Amino acid sequence: MRSKNLIIILYILSILLLFFSISTFLYQYIAALGSLKKVLPAFGNSRILSALWLSLLSAFVTTFLAIIFGIPLAYILATREFKGKTLFEAFAIDVPQTFPPVAEGVIFLLMLGPDSPFHVNIAFTFASLVIAKFFISCPFVVSFTVRRFREIRNSGINLTARSLGANRFQVFTTIYLPLSLKDIAAGVSLCWSRAMGELGGSLVFAGVIPFKTEIIPTFIGEQVKTFTIEVLAATILATTASTLALVSFKYFTTSGD
Amino acid sequence: MKGLSIQNIESGYADKIVINGLSLDVEGKETLIIMGPSGSGKSTLLLTILGIIPPGKGRIFLNDRDITNTSIEEHCIGYLPQDYGLFTHLNVMENVSYGLRIRGIPKNEREKKSIEMLKLVELENYKEKRIKELSGGEKQRVGLARALAIEPCLLLLDEPLSNIDQVTKSDIAKQLKELFNKIHIPVILVTHNHEDAIFLAGRIAILIDGKIEQIGNIGEIMRYPKTPFIKKLLTPFVFE
Repeated sequence: MRSKNLIIILYILSILLLFFSISTFLYQYIAALGSLKKVLPAFGNSRILSALWLSLLSAFVTTFLAIIFGIPLAYILATREFKGKTLFEAFAIDVPQTFPPVAEGVIFLLMLGPDSPFHVNIAFTFASLVIAKFFISCPFVVSFTVRRFREIRNSGINLTARSLGANRFQVFTTIYLPLSLKDIAAGVSLCWSRAMGELGGSLVFAGVIPFKTEIIPTFIGEQVKTFTIEVLAATILATTASTLALVSFKYFTTSGD
Repeated sequence: MKGLSIQNIESGYADKIVINGLSLDVEGKETLIIMGPSGSGKSTLLLTILGIIPPGKGRIFLNDRDITNTSIEEHCIGYLPQDYGLFTHLNVMENVSYGLRIRGIPKNEREKKSIEMLKLVELENYKEKRIKELSGGEKQRVGLARALAIEPCLLLLDEPLSNIDQVTKSDIAKQLKELFNKIHIPVILVTHNHEDAIFLAGRIAILIDGKIEQIGNIGEIMRYPKTPFIKKLLTPFVFE
């Protein structure tokens, strides 16, 4: 009887948590339904559309760069042994994920801003948006890929492929990559989602210049002080885009199991 | 010499020498079973022949060609790992033709060769099957067909019967022996299990602490074991 009651408590706690998550997500749509006549035109607001376009474009460029740089790094981390690898890996994967985004923005502003010691000033440009997002988002691609590459290496099938005549590059393209597609897709989905939602680094390093560097999160951050209906419209756009990315993440990681 | 000749090799890892001054010849189409307890250096020896672990000393010759310091993909050695190492993203036919595809052999030629290999292991009707649809014994035969498709000069098998259940072990061993008779290359297989060695029969080398302690046919070694340890290794259930 006592264990039955404990199970009921577990169920109640689970349902409360599920309700909390789902209701938070759904409430924006409920709130929009209440003032649909005002929200719908706000979706066509040129400033919101520009912020959405810049959010999407910068997130795609960031994700593309994360694939180009992240997969080779994951391969090296998974297949090579060298001194200081653990520390190097922590800087490549763990540090950016735990770094306060605003602090990251400050560092980039000092390093690549108007007072750059390298005389490279890209602050408050589209490039600065991408760099701020890349730093925070790329580790998702690296961490998911490196984990799978390690599994493949530990299974030894890379050596079997080499015994069949494949050189290292052929093993990479014919074994590592095809066997890791799901994990890479999962990392890429989370990378894109994180890039879409990034705020702190972009706010400091790229600023909030409408039609130039303003993205959905920075638009919301700016407008929330006066809370206009446009904030709700932008929120819906941002969260829906992120959720779509996560649904694709789930699809890629569970399909075919 | 036609076959494999290992001359006084020393091999191991950064912190430990596992194989120490080992010499061995495997000629013609001989099957040699390397048997030893866990940690005796069987896998290290196999990986050294294969070219994954470069030997610190000594030379390895395959059909009179010095392969000591050549890279693994140049060795042309067929290798079947313990878990068969099949590529799960490819079907049976694609697995068997992998080595041929890597060599740039045209599709029709590699398909012809792969079907020939699948016939050799009696799996010609399995070419479209996914790897996860196969039984343990079938996986092993696909692995063998793939290793043989590249026309190797030597075949290495790591514990080929260890993942086979007791009931079908003797059948699989018989099939393996039949296959070894059909291919005209030397075969080296390692095992820690005396039963597997008996099933597969042939010349046996007893490897202990990185050195070959005794070499001969199974009957000879069982009758005249050189040391009490070898006697125990081959007949672990005999009461003293």
